[in-house]
Amino acid sequence: MKRYMTSAAAAAILATGFAGAAFSGGHASYTIGISNTVQGNGWREEMVCAMKAQALVSGDVASLNIAHRNTDAAGQLEDIRNLIQAGVDAIVLNPSNSEGVNSAIEEAIAAGIVVVAVDQAVTAEGAYILSNNQEEYAYLGAKWLFEELGGEGSVVYMRGAAGAGADNDRDTGFQRALAEFPDIDVVHEVFTGWQQDQGKQQILDYLSTGLPVDGVWTSGIDNVIVDAFIESDVPLVPIVGADNAGFVGQLATVEGFTGAAVTNPGSIGGAGVTLALQILGGDVPESNTVLVDPSIWANNDPEGMALIEAAQNPNLDPEWPVSVMIPGWTTYSMDEIIACKGPGE
Amino acid sequence: MSRLITKHGWTAGLLSILVLLFILTRMIQPEFGASGLDSLSRATLPFAFATAAMAVVVIAGGIDLSVASMMAVAGVTAAVLMDGAGDGMTVVAVIVVLLIGLAMGAINGALIVLTRVPDIVVTLAMLYVWEGVALLILNAPGGAATPWLRQLIVGPFLVPWLPKSFVFLVVCVALIWVPLKRSKLGLSIYAIGSDELAAYRSGVAVGRTRIAAYAVCGLFAALGGLTLTLSTGNGEPIPGPYLMASVSAVVLGGVVLGGGKGAILGPIIAVIILRLVRMDLTLMSVDPNVTTIVEGTIMVVVVMFGGVIAYRGRQK
Amino acid sequence: MTEHEPQTSLLDAQGVSKKFGAVVALRDASLTIQKGQIVALMGANGAGKSTFVKVLTGALRPDTGHVRIKGEERRVGSPAEARRSGLLPVYQEPSLIPDLSVADNLRLADTPVDDFRHWVAELGIEGLRLDDMIGALPLATLRILDLARALAAKPDVLLLDEMTAALPTDLVDKVLRTVRAQADKGQSVIYISHRFAEIAQICDRATVLRDGETVGDLPIAPGVEEQVVELMLGTVLDKAPTRDAATGHGGKGEAHVRVRHLAAGSKLEDVSLDLHRGEVLGVVALEGQGQDELFEALAGMIKPTAGQIAIDDVPVSFSHPADAIAAGLTYVPGDRADGLLMSRSVHENIALPQLARISKWGAIRMKAEADKVAAAIDRLQIDTRAMGEVQRLSGGNQQKVTIGRWIAAGVDTLLLFDPTRGIDVRTKRQIYLLVRELAAQGASVLYYTSELAEVPAACDRAVVIFNGKVVDVIEAADADEPTLMRAAYGLTRAEGEPA
Repeated sequence: MKRYMTSAAAAAILATGFAGAAFSGGHASYTIGISNTVQGNGWREEMVCAMKAQALVSGDVASLNIAHRNTDAAGQLEDIRNLIQAGVDAIVLNPSNSEGVNSAIEEAIAAGIVVVAVDQAVTAEGAYILSNNQEEYAYLGAKWLFEELGGEGSVVYMRGAAGAGADNDRDTGFQRALAEFPDIDVVHEVFTGWQQDQGKQQILDYLSTGLPVDGVWTSGIDNVIVDAFIESDVPLVPIVGADNAGFVGQLATVEGFTGAAVTNPGSIGGAGVTLALQILGGDVPESNTVLVDPSIWANNDPEGMALIEAAQNPNLDPEWPVSVMIPGWTTYSMDEIIACKGPGE
Repeated sequence: MSRLITKHGWTAGLLSILVLLFILTRMIQPEFGASGLDSLSRATLPFAFATAAMAVVVIAGGIDLSVASMMAVAGVTAAVLMDGAGDGMTVVAVIVVLLIGLAMGAINGALIVLTRVPDIVVTLAMLYVWEGVALLILNAPGGAATPWLRQLIVGPFLVPWLPKSFVFLVVCVALIWVPLKRSKLGLSIYAIGSDELAAYRSGVAVGRTRIAAYAVCGLFAALGGLTLTLSTGNGEPIPGPYLMASVSAVVLGGVVLGGGKGAILGPIIAVIILRLVRMDLTLMSVDPNVTTIVEGTIMVVVVMFGGVIAYRGRQK
Repeated sequence: MTEHEPQTSLLDAQGVSKKFGAVVALRDASLTIQKGQIVALMGANGAGKSTFVKVLTGALRPDTGHVRIKGEERRVGSPAEARRSGLLPVYQEPSLIPDLSVADNLRLADTPVDDFRHWVAELGIEGLRLDDMIGALPLATLRILDLARALAAKPDVLLLDEMTAALPTDLVDKVLRTVRAQADKGQSVIYISHRFAEIAQICDRATVLRDGETVGDLPIAPGVEEQVVELMLGTVLDKAPTRDAATGHGGKGEAHVRVRHLAAGSKLEDVSLDLHRGEVLGVVALEGQGQDELFEALAGMIKPTAGQIAIDDVPVSFSHPADAIAAGLTYVPGDRADGLLMSRSVHENIALPQLARISKWGAIRMKAEADKVAAAIDRLQIDTRAMGEVQRLSGGNQQKVTIGRWIAAGVDTLLLFDPTRGIDVRTKRQIYLLVRELAAQGASVLYYTSELAEVPAACDRAVVIFNGKVVDVIEAADADEPTLMRAAYGLTRAEGEPA
């Protein structure tokens, strides 16, 4: 059984539902293993920092054992198995894909280890999932963009990494929105590889052709796209991005720019640690899966603008999502996540 | 006897490093045992096949930068063909994947021989071509692997401490490498890597031998891709980190960049060493960024060391 | 020597010609060989010998003419096919794979092991094990193994290219006797060598090439050496171009660079010479007599195995080319691309040696240096339209740049290795003038040339090297082509002037 809710609602329900055990804390006794397969990306770095900060402030974690590198599903299998060998109590992972690491997750569960997958779902029996709803992420942003264009026009579709699970889910959502707006024309579709420089070059190349563009949908490589329009002296068009600090800043300050940020909290890593600690403390949630639905902040909508204004934080890395905390799930302070220190560091 | 030791000195040295690392692992984690060996062996599989693939072309005096991409093509092809396949179809799928591997390698080799463009340029281009092919076959992780085939690399074989995956590796490599090494083609591969002109004058068909070496490389890469699909249970179109890892394992394993020297046993021991180093770093809970530095440093030092040896060899 | 009854030729090449673009390598080459004969193939540098060998072995297709082996037309094919078709070459560089064992090398070329063992023993190599790695064996042994492998393959015709170079005397003797004995049993051999003594000892006939043409086919008899030399030279039409005798330096006084009993590599055995300031000293040698090693040792690229080098009476030893450069020895290799920045301008290339000095001395006098460069370029007489990129210049003009830069930069000792190879006559003369100008400035120049006619034009004296040893020193005035040729072939001069 699955439940769907917005991130705020999820937080509220879960906080009242089974928050107790983890926050009482004080016995630094658990070892938690972390497995992540993308290194050097702002979103993932925030996720890992959130895991570290949450483990530190919980007081229940003696040490973190972090396997954090660029690798594929087979590499993640290796990392999970090494964490099993290291004898950790729980493993919080961002899965490389939804099925590829099931065999190691099942071995971990068989060895009595609590497994929590964050950001993306896994299909392994017995694993707990705290996942951002990627399909909904794309659908929300695309729908806002198409409505903003009045249902017709030329859209540049800047995807993530070809062949990545999250990119595929987002494409499903994007296509669903596109089907509702038959007069929207996707004039250019590229894979940014979730790389800032690559995405910027791609939009500069497109702009220099002089071909029409009425709106841009990005998969989180966003602030450099706005920069590219400004640098090329091309009038800004509506752009959809993620709630990355740099882009949210542009939404608030760039003159004549209409855009929207879709939330995709990297701090879900911290929430994953909290969930793992709750389960270790005997507080098992009734459902294995919590899908965190995104929300959208548009700067031409007073409510959205208010959220954008509230989220401004000059201390954050421009590639980091501004939603650095999930109320009810994370208890660290802004300084603690920016410091990015885990137990024993 | 002393000849035997000098000839296999490098391999013997690697084996002693491996034994020391196992002892170290036991010290870090006293409970390290059969399941640890199984984990290690399964992690080694794709790297070992990538390394075997790279070793063959490096011995032939070349290099293939498209190894990881060919593995991705083989992996997604296997996953698509095996999705819902019965026993018969599974066997067909495996054969098809291996043939595709041979064909991809042969295409790489033929392009190098026919265009006379340097191997490093051709295979760099082919890295993107094969990556694109993999994405065409499967644009996101998907497909499936036949369960009984997956069981081939899970758990122990006969005795608790001998992982099936290790037996699988040894059998596959031996089935390809031993007959090859004994054949005239194997000799010719060493010959063109050692001294192309002398090989040509000794009557070796240099071009055909080079194509064959790349084809064998493709075959090993296909086995690597197949084991990826078997261990994950689906096919991933994005190539994994097997290119740099295979080059450094090949060099650490005693194969000289530039060709002619080395064999396949050394590089495979080197692969196990590199995997065990990662396991130990994880067991010791070393900071992940430090882990990356350690692994990178090992690769750089090994490749530089290999370069110095190759240079010295040429000076003589 | 044995007489043979006339019969159909085993190998018959007639009217072979071959062009590479505009360059005619072979005009009308021919060679015939009967069963059991040893024929010497002779020719000076550039006569077309190596192209002819390539045609004979099936590596090149002739433009006209034919090559027949046992009456069958020779086809161009892979070396494997060529080996089967009856003519088996043994090259100067052994065709054995360094990283394979002896046994694996035999297997690679499908050589019967027992026959190979027989020939190895016959040729006097002892203690060879089939599992020895080729790379660990000395060069002399490898050449013998290569020959043994060829003999074991029982070819119709065996082609031996400078087989005895780099072999110690006892092995040379064994090889010669074995080859002759095989010929007496019916083996046919094409024998390429610069050593008249060996040719006289084992060959039946000599076929002489000049300018891509077969100009003679002589039976070997006493006094044939003189005939062969004359055939190789052709008619020497005009006397060598002379130069102003006043600029000449007789090689008197204290030597600037003194070399004593230098040995290096496998070919340079014992060379002594004195190079004076302001002198151009020629080095004359047939291919592969040790001149490469002499220049490389002086340039610090290889280490001598014996002997001394002294500069102004101070002994020096080089472990790196930088050491030689620091000692004032500048090496200009025959391959011009080695020394030039091909995609940069003539100006930059001329200025390069001076720019390299900036880091040492800090500030340079920009104006003075720029003037020097401009003056040097002026003297090179290069078409200014092609000055932007050195690679657009002809080979001759490129060579002028490599030498001209040292006029601008100033040089102590210049080691020129065959600077005029493949260059037209007019440019050659300009190069001689540049070299003389350097000498007039006080530089010492060691000048190896593969063209004998250059010696009187550019040099003050010439040392002649044969078999890794200096066999003669000849003053420019006496250095006509026949004299040099005889000396280069190790034939003693009638006058017997002391070296």
